[in-house]
Amino acid sequence: MSQCFRRVAATAFAAGLCAPLSAFSHAALIEAETAQAIRLHALYDTGEPMSHAQVIIYAPDDPSTPWGQGVTDRDGRLEFVLGNEPGRWSFQVRQSGHGAMVHMEIGADAPVIMTASSAQGWGQRLLMVALVAWGALGTAAFVYRRKGGRNASA
Amino acid sequence: MILQRKQAFHSAVCRRMQPLVGALDGWRKGRMTNAVVLHTEGKILPMTRVFALATMAICASFSVHAGSLTLFASGEDLATEGFTAPQLTKDGWALEFTRITATFDQITAWQTDPPFMADGPAITGTALLIAGPFTVDLTDADEDDRVALLRVEAAPGHYNALSWALVPDADGFSLVLEGIARKDVREVPFTLRSADSVAHACSEYLGDTRKGFVTDTTGADLEITLHLDHLFGRADKDDADEMNLAAFGFEPFAAGGVHEFTLDGLHLGHVGEGHCHVSML
Repeated sequence: MSQCFRRVAATAFAAGLCAPLSAFSHAALIEAETAQAIRLHALYDTGEPMSHAQVIIYAPDDPSTPWGQGVTDRDGRLEFVLGNEPGRWSFQVRQSGHGAMVHMEIGADAPVIMTASSAQGWGQRLLMVALVAWGALGTAAFVYRRKGGRNASA
Repeated sequence: MILQRKQAFHSAVCRRMQPLVGALDGWRKGRMTNAVVLHTEGKILPMTRVFALATMAICASFSVHAGSLTLFASGEDLATEGFTAPQLTKDGWALEFTRITATFDQITAWQTDPPFMADGPAITGTALLIAGPFTVDLTDADEDDRVALLRVEAAPGHYNALSWALVPDADGFSLVLEGIARKDVREVPFTLRSADSVAHACSEYLGDTRKGFVTDTTGADLEITLHLDHLFGRADKDDADEMNLAAFGFEPFAAGGVHEFTLDGLHLGHVGEGHCHVSML
């Protein structure tokens, strides 16, 4: 009786695990749309890139709460697409006790190029962070949907 | 309804008490301020301290909602825990501090637009002159390695710049570090002190959280941060690191006893990891 109950329970549990998997496999929806990309480039005054630096992004409508975050590559670069909120976006870049905050005004037009630096003199490493409008990411919309499957967004 | 009346009463009391405390302190120093003093190393009149403590006790649960700005000073964990392996000085000494006194003055929080980037000595914006001087022991810190200096009422806004000066105290020294240095079998008691005055014009605080946002219902805090590794260097950093190239290390003081040093060229002052423009006064 007990073994029977365990088998039933195990079968029900396995079915529960499998059900979502099958649902996912039928519904893959990938959308890509045109968007302005921003490239951040962080480096020291020596030319050494701020590799693998932490980047935290703050949106204009809630500047005290991180909107997003990322990590620069080994060349000190990070590319991303911002939201639609107009105003001042802020970017905090930190690595090994060094840090800089840079800002970018987003309006109706394309973002302006801004370069920020901080620190001075010997004993501090000058940080330079450039933010540039980098062009468009994606030129079309793509939808992949498995034939016969359900729409995942439904 | 009762709670609202109680809060209104507390609000009225707190608003009236804070200028009184500040005025008493200002009277002692020959200046007026609206600061609530939290830490003064015994340099405040006993009666003023009583008033300050009474105000803090009454307003403790309310100050968070009062639109206030609290200022802290920190020497980070290097002040409270010392230089321990692998974070030894650049020349391999372990340091244990028994006292690090620093005196801060001319403290001003700023709302700047566009944001001040620490690229010069002058900050343009809306200024909130806080107070000073304050002498604090950075080893006597809370669990976050911070020493609370004072709390002031502040208008809503983002305080994204901070200026302050490191100035000599009554004994003539702006920064004094006392402790014991150890290397191999050597144990060296030391007192290092500087009489220099240094002005700092700092950008926005940089750290794990973004600071300085005061609203009608919430307070905020800011921090003066002294990076002691800019004085002693770090063994876990490359010898060619800019900080290590500038730092003294401990060898120049290894004879022990009292030594005086200059802060000229050393950038100890920060706001978290944010930078400051430094000018010798």
